[in-house]
Amino acid sequence: MKNFDEFSKPEEYISPMDKHIRSVIRNWADKEVMPYRRKYDEDWKDHHIIEPAFDKLMGNSGIGLQKALFPPELGGWGIGQSDSAFTISCALAEEVGRADTAMAVAFMVTYWPLTTILVEPHVNWRLAKEFAPMFCNAEKAVFAANAMTEPQGGADIENLELTGGKTIRTVARLEGDEWVINGHKLWPTNSGGVAKLFVVPCTTKPGSTDLKDFAMIFVPADTKGVTQGGPYEKAGMAADKNSDIWFEDVRVPSWYRAHGPSMDAQVFREIIPWGLAASMGFMCGAMLNLYEILYDFVSTKTYKNKPLKEDDHIASIIGRIAGDIDICRILSYEAAKMGDRRNKPYGYPIYSDEVACKMRNLKDFVSDRAVDIFGKAMDVLGPYGADREYDIEKHWRDIKIIQLWMGGKQLCQMEAARYFFNCKTL
Amino acid sequence: MNKVLDELFVYPKGLVDEESKRVIHLVRQWADKEIISKRQEYRENYEKLFIETRKSLNLTIGLQRLTLPEEHGGFGWNNPASAPGIASVLTEIGRADAAIGVATAVKYTMLAVITMAPNFDKALCDALAPVYCGEELKTFSLILPGMGNVGQDTPLFLGRSILASVEPEGDGYVVNGKNLRPINSGAVADLFCVVCADKTGKPCIAFVPGDNTNIVRGKTLLETGLNASSNADVSFNNVKIPKSYVISRQGVVEELYTWLNLLLGGVSVGTGMNFFEMVGDWSETRTIKGGYMMKENPLCASVLADVADEVFTSRLFLYDLAQTISKPNDWGQSSSQRVYTIAQVLGSKIQQNVMRAINRGLELMGSAGYSKEWHVEKHWRDIKTIQSYLCGVGAEAPVKMDTARFFFDCKDI
Repeated sequence: MKNFDEFSKPEEYISPMDKHIRSVIRNWADKEVMPYRRKYDEDWKDHHIIEPAFDKLMGNSGIGLQKALFPPELGGWGIGQSDSAFTISCALAEEVGRADTAMAVAFMVTYWPLTTILVEPHVNWRLAKEFAPMFCNAEKAVFAANAMTEPQGGADIENLELTGGKTIRTVARLEGDEWVINGHKLWPTNSGGVAKLFVVPCTTKPGSTDLKDFAMIFVPADTKGVTQGGPYEKAGMAADKNSDIWFEDVRVPSWYRAHGPSMDAQVFREIIPWGLAASMGFMCGAMLNLYEILYDFVSTKTYKNKPLKEDDHIASIIGRIAGDIDICRILSYEAAKMGDRRNKPYGYPIYSDEVACKMRNLKDFVSDRAVDIFGKAMDVLGPYGADREYDIEKHWRDIKIIQLWMGGKQLCQMEAARYFFNCKTL
Repeated sequence: MNKVLDELFVYPKGLVDEESKRVIHLVRQWADKEIISKRQEYRENYEKLFIETRKSLNLTIGLQRLTLPEEHGGFGWNNPASAPGIASVLTEIGRADAAIGVATAVKYTMLAVITMAPNFDKALCDALAPVYCGEELKTFSLILPGMGNVGQDTPLFLGRSILASVEPEGDGYVVNGKNLRPINSGAVADLFCVVCADKTGKPCIAFVPGDNTNIVRGKTLLETGLNASSNADVSFNNVKIPKSYVISRQGVVEELYTWLNLLLGGVSVGTGMNFFEMVGDWSETRTIKGGYMMKENPLCASVLADVADEVFTSRLFLYDLAQTISKPNDWGQSSSQRVYTIAQVLGSKIQQNVMRAINRGLELMGSAGYSKEWHVEKHWRDIKTIQSYLCGVGAEAPVKMDTARFFFDCKDI
């Protein structure tokens, strides 16, 4: 094998932009991130080292990726209207994730709330025009966040099928032509003072299970009444800040609601596959980097005075690791293509059970394999496995949280059971 | 969680005598009072409190002298029959802080090859005990054989490259070795124990005082866990040591591995038990699906069962190993191939079990499991670090080969 690019991906799925966009981002990653990423853990609070790299990835002073989802007529690249939006996202997630999965999530979560108003067929032109300058005209990185999780319920909010939104305690009340929002959210990526724009999943009628009462409302971070706590200190993912956010009588124009009754619940369901597909991309990127590092290690270190890779037993372990990376990459692209088939006659809408459940299933599988092979790779490195100099341990710490987020493993299992076995009460 | 841990995670109580139980109880009180009851403060002032709590454990309680013979001012736990008691002490320490546990486990492992009957080395104990087990807290560091580098042809210990050497010089020995990776504390160790090869390539061990000016320490490593132990690569450049500081009896390296597997196993079991306590509390205070207590959901309960199962069996494995070591007349000395292999097999299983317990439990805790505020992520990182070190080379390749060699009489692996 020549290099990590040879890991399988379904070539017929690949977007024409893939090669060029990968080349640009890989250049950025190798130059702006890889040499510095071992210092990121200590930079978790201030982002002195991390922030300039984001600027060069996302802002107009660099590659300008933060505007990619916006339509060209608003200054963007039009990826939101592309038939390959998921596949391109998968490539972006891989390339940035190869360098640092936390940077990948912070960057791509900026797209996450915006998919609800920028991706065909749900383009909300008024909101797109409203927020385009924030992202398309900025020299530096500008972030958005999806303020979803609440203190009392963990992943309940993502389990709309079961709860119908009845557990949501963040409440939006319509007063004249304004929404007044009150509530408390936890853990959104790009909180802790990073994001300039939030989307806030909330309810217009506390306790209701009617999905017409579920709302997604955009809230600029500098709106009066929005308070963000300091970032949490975590086991890893230093480039991704998370904190508490309080909304106290926060007032925004009524048209900041993404789409309106029922449609908000639908687009909320639609953002889940985006998050799942991107998660798989992040993990595949990290796994590609694992392969690069492991290749060098097993070629230069010895057991019984032979290179590790030439020992039959160790070869069986690293062979399985590489095999799993290959399979996970194929599955990730399959998930992305599932999203890109959303408007095709043979595809399913991304709010459908078919897409949501199958993607959860794939993400669960890829997460399990990623957690397993990173742990195994650390063991291959033995006394060097825990050493930050080899970078594998960083990915090991980071990818665990990818397994845990978005409802974690158990929600994936429940969704799979519901779909494949027609369970009625889970 | 109000249940008594020892009544949940049962172990053969008869293996631990009453005197040992009193010491173990004392260590549990230390753990609860100085660390577990104030995790937040401990985390926020970790570097300072790590040293203070180690001092209170080693000097105030006196555990620095636990495995020394009574005539050397020790507790007299220098007989293999004390193995279950020593493992229990490490379990209590590991429940509080795995990094303190590892430092203690390495110290007892190194002392075991000097003080344990029937191989009590009085001359070496006379030389080392007053300096390294006296009134000051001393740190021990262990350097095992492991992987080599392409282009080197090294002496081997059962497949593992021995990268340090001893050669006689005058009335002593000189030790050499470049960029050796200790298990712990390379940057700060007062005393090293290094597996070396002699001129014929035969494995032996050398004790090297850390104050020798010919020792070069690399920069302190940043690692996944156990960072308080301040590890660093170490080079020995013609370091002279007295003749009595080298032990070359048959099986001495195997003894090191046997004790290390037991004692690090003890640390990890303790850490696993504390993780169990934490995830138990979490499952009783969190609700899912709009109001159900987490632990009452069958899916979550099955994950909790996995956590309990892994910790439960790992503790049984620990005492199986301790019992095996404690009865040399039944199973052989800790240097024998049988006991050495059993230690590798059970030691490896214990680490795998505890790692799986924590990985599973984290699934229920979601982002909180990952946040430093909830403390469980430290246990996760620490145990993974212990596991990776114990693997040695190529994801336990040597352990697998040792196991196959013993059970199937393999000759060439």
